[in-house]
Amino acid sequence: MTVDQASSPAVGRPRPTAQVGRPRSATRTGPSMTTRKHRAFYMFASPWIIGFSLLTIAPMAYALWLSFTTYDGISPHWHYVGLGNYRELMGDSVTWDALGRAGLFALISVPLSIIAGLVLAVLVNRPLKARGLFRTLLYLPAVVPPVGAGIAFKNLFDQNSGAANGALTFFGFDAIGWLADPYARYVLVMTVLWAAGNIMIISLAGLQDVPRELHEAARIDGASAWRTFRSITVPLLSPVLLFQTVTGVIASVQTIMPMLLAPTPGTGGLTSIPQSNYTYMIHVFAEYFALGRYGYASALLWVLFLLILVATGLIFKFTSGVVFYNVDPEAQK
Amino acid sequence: MTATSVHPKSPARARIRVNRLVLYTALVVITGLFLGPFGWLVLTGLKAPAELAAAPVHWLPTHFEWHNFVDAYRVIDFLGYARNSLIIATIYATLVTLSSAWVGFGFARLTAPGKKVLFGILIGSMMLPQMITLLPTYLIFARLGMVDTYWPWVLWGLSSAPYLVFLFRQFFAGLPRELEEAAIVDGCGYAGIFWRIFLPQSWPVLSASFVIAFTWTWGDYIAPQLLLSTDRSTLAVAVMTTYVSSAGTPSTNLQAAASVMYVVPILLIFLVAQRGFVAGMSTSGLK
Repeated sequence: MTVDQASSPAVGRPRPTAQVGRPRSATRTGPSMTTRKHRAFYMFASPWIIGFSLLTIAPMAYALWLSFTTYDGISPHWHYVGLGNYRELMGDSVTWDALGRAGLFALISVPLSIIAGLVLAVLVNRPLKARGLFRTLLYLPAVVPPVGAGIAFKNLFDQNSGAANGALTFFGFDAIGWLADPYARYVLVMTVLWAAGNIMIISLAGLQDVPRELHEAARIDGASAWRTFRSITVPLLSPVLLFQTVTGVIASVQTIMPMLLAPTPGTGGLTSIPQSNYTYMIHVFAEYFALGRYGYASALLWVLFLLILVATGLIFKFTSGVVFYNVDPEAQK
Repeated sequence: MTATSVHPKSPARARIRVNRLVLYTALVVITGLFLGPFGWLVLTGLKAPAELAAAPVHWLPTHFEWHNFVDAYRVIDFLGYARNSLIIATIYATLVTLSSAWVGFGFARLTAPGKKVLFGILIGSMMLPQMITLLPTYLIFARLGMVDTYWPWVLWGLSSAPYLVFLFRQFFAGLPRELEEAAIVDGCGYAGIFWRIFLPQSWPVLSASFVIAFTWTWGDYIAPQLLLSTDRSTLAVAVMTTYVSSAGTPSTNLQAAASVMYVVPILLIFLVAQRGFVAGMSTSGLK
């Protein structure tokens, strides 16, 4: 006989007093089995617990400590400045501009890519010939690593040899310096849209979970395609869309794509990044690696971290009434 | 229902046909736009430098410079960098798959006080901005003398990845309970149960996890850029930064050719492993 805890679902109706009812026999096998189970759980969870503590919590704590200092990585003459870095940050217009740019980038790229992904998902969810092929091809760019995407877009939007300017001049327009101010920001947004296949695939999985009867009922009631989409598809997909919004915002705020689109790539070329792509994350990198101001850069990091937490919280709060969780008792098992 | 259904030659039928045509056209155009950047990359990789400077853009190369792809190998130690990428990605993917399966098993099949809280932290940590933790982690690795070694990837691999832990947890939680009960009666420890009973069952997840982790590492640019010196770095860093002619100008065509060769393995892996890849993604996106 095994422990009551493990076997109780199997023995028909579990009596509420089952655990209290047999203290004698339980003292011998029960607790030792449960403690074994508890110990085993922590043995299994330990790689993550240790790894998370050492490689996530500890670095964040270290950054927090650095943010109160003037440490630069080389000079031994650093000192504690309390909230000095944070005070400087509040008055630094470069920081505020970079933050504004990152916010604007998130505000534009996240909704656009979600709409694009959703539209694609609806399109390839229709009964079509070769829809598997369309799905694969549309998703493919999302698999291309950032370096590949960066180089592809650099070539596509090159001032002289790019296809974008080729098309513009072909139709009689002037060529544009896409990768410089003020156009570089559009290229940055397009790199995000290029990977909308990601959202397409996830939305597609959600679409396929939408019960067929709902669509049929709507059609019988004479609802238009748009109405069905708005009143059935979007509400049922809303948890997926919420998840995509949150992860999209987090990803867009920390993107290093401006570095990959810069004329001189890498941390050595941070100063070659055009103003309009000088986002907050790039500012952090510049403070770390171009200027070596570890203390100040760490303060920037912590501010960004807190802002992301607040933004995530706000997104959840404002969508709590809108997002519809389809709790199907049968799907819960 | 049947009485109101569409007659063979009614206008509604014609409308459906037009709709389909519009849908196909839209899909073909969009797919073309999506493949465009990569197609242009290939074309750029096939052009001669002079052609890249030509005033009206040459859409197609007048002469296909296939040797660009060979030159891209020669001017830098392409294979050496590819080998570095392969080593790092394999180390990380192997370790992180095993450690995540291990941790996922704990969360799926065992109970303990504090498990719920830990699981909440695990899920929450998936949303942690990784770039933010990477920078101070780099400073710590630098202090510990682990810069220019592969130790960071070993440590990252051993500490499991929340996303993959979640994948394994979902899979293991769905397996029947009798599986470990029989083993417990046989006096098999939990480690043995995991290793001998659960792990062999999980081939689909194991391979999906390995592929996902491998492509992450192959595609990662910033960690190797920060942690490794140019010689020991990965293909991602080399393709991005080393294609510069002796005069200091970027060799655009060679870089384009090299990045095609850098990207294509990932595309192939994806096409082969598509099903597991997509299944994993949708699980994490929905639950």
